[in-house]
Amino acid sequence: MLPAVAVYYFPWEVNSGALQDGESVRTFGSKTNFAHFSRLTQYEPEKSRASLTTQHASKEHHVVINTSFVEPFNPIIGAQYIVLGEIETAQGVDGVRVCARVLNCVDGVNIALLQKVINEQRSFFRERRPDLWSLLQRSRACL
Amino acid sequence: MDPAEELPSMLWGLDPIFSAFARLHVTDILHMRESCQVPDIYFYKSHPIHKVDVLGTVVYKREREDFFCYGDDGTGVINCLCWKNDPMKEELDSGKYGGKPSDDLQHSFNLAVEVKKLKQAQQTHFRLEIGELLRVRGQVKTSRQQREMMASTYYKVNDPVMAVQIEWMSDVLQLYREFYDKPLHLQNISASESPITSLSKATQIIKDFLEQKAVSKFRPYDIQDILQPLFPSCPEVAPAGQEPVAGSSTCQQLHVLLKEALQLLQDEGVVYRKVKSQDEVYFVTAQDKDLLMAVKDIIREDSKREKYQEKGCHILHILSSVRQRHSMNVSKAVLELVLKSLECNSDIISTRDNYFTYFII
Repeated sequence: MLPAVAVYYFPWEVNSGALQDGESVRTFGSKTNFAHFSRLTQYEPEKSRASLTTQHASKEHHVVINTSFVEPFNPIIGAQYIVLGEIETAQGVDGVRVCARVLNCVDGVNIALLQKVINEQRSFFRERRPDLWSLLQRSRACL
Repeated sequence: MDPAEELPSMLWGLDPIFSAFARLHVTDILHMRESCQVPDIYFYKSHPIHKVDVLGTVVYKREREDFFCYGDDGTGVINCLCWKNDPMKEELDSGKYGGKPSDDLQHSFNLAVEVKKLKQAQQTHFRLEIGELLRVRGQVKTSRQQREMMASTYYKVNDPVMAVQIEWMSDVLQLYREFYDKPLHLQNISASESPITSLSKATQIIKDFLEQKAVSKFRPYDIQDILQPLFPSCPEVAPAGQEPVAGSSTCQQLHVLLKEALQLLQDEGVVYRKVKSQDEVYFVTAQDKDLLMAVKDIIREDSKREKYQEKGCHILHILSSVRQRHSMNVSKAVLELVLKSLECNSDIISTRDNYFTYFII
């Protein structure tokens, strides 16, 4: 079975309404993959849990990562990481967790440029390929 | 989706994208429709595609004799069949090199170590783990109703700060805007060629006719009939001027074309008008024996003179002599053709560029 595509998401989008509804995930039977990037602020190896944080619009956004698939993993606290993984809703935890399949250190990445390119790609798909854009949107909405 | 809309396979080579490894988004590769004409060729909008170039993260790996992995570029996931090549299969033998006794010559021990390092370096390039960035180029195929890529080239990309991925994403968007999303323009080519081809066709027809029939001289109306096939709708010209009005435009076109063709042939030197009078008589250079003899005589006589004995006669000197003796209207192009044929017959030789002398056996 092919794993589902990991669409790029910004960290502030992860915790917003669209991606939060765990119920829909299970009902549709599919978990959405996604990729995003932010700074590693915390790592608890015993719980296989890491926390990524980003500043955006003067607010801090946290995303919790389940690192069981990518261990042993050498954490560099404060470095930028990109994570590809599946959203899962964990009971007893506020917000969503990401079960990471790929966790790469990309310290030194030009965040502004990456954001710009992702936005360009999104607007390209919205304008030129509305059929594919809705396909990607659907995969995003059925979380 | 309509087979009638598809470009016929004869013309696929005219699309430069067909010969290139197209950098499409994976989602487009997965959704391209297959051609009805030839299997394993796909169409993205109006462009035929059969090879692609993808940069993506390895998200799943299945290793066997060959090496499957799934690459994700943010728009889609595709299966890439990366065939292992020999250096990887030989990794079992690498143990041999490590076991060489150290009391060998310094020289050969270093060589073994270097070879081992080389093999290890090769393996790191081809050994792929999940999470690594992979660049793959290869053909698109459909197997078991799934689109996949048969990799002809693949390698790991070192991209510690995502610079390569960012550049790739923006380049691909640019390529889409400038090439992939623009339809192929083929109509323009055929349209612009037609005025030129009819003239070149006409000159070719005339040349062939003159050669075949060994025509030495002619008048325009003698040969205008041979251009008739280019104008199928033109009726016979009645000398009394009873041409129908509708047909006269094509007849005029024919006359114009004939005139242009004759002018072109004159410029090339194939024909010339010995005497410019009301009566348009054209002499064919290749068949004009008088001209040939005149030029030969000029060169033979002048080559005996001391002035030209060493260097030979310059072409312009020969030209002015021919104009005095034979005809004022002989052009340089005509003379060049004559000199060429004389040289081929070994009557004259060229001593240097544009200089000729009589060849005495």
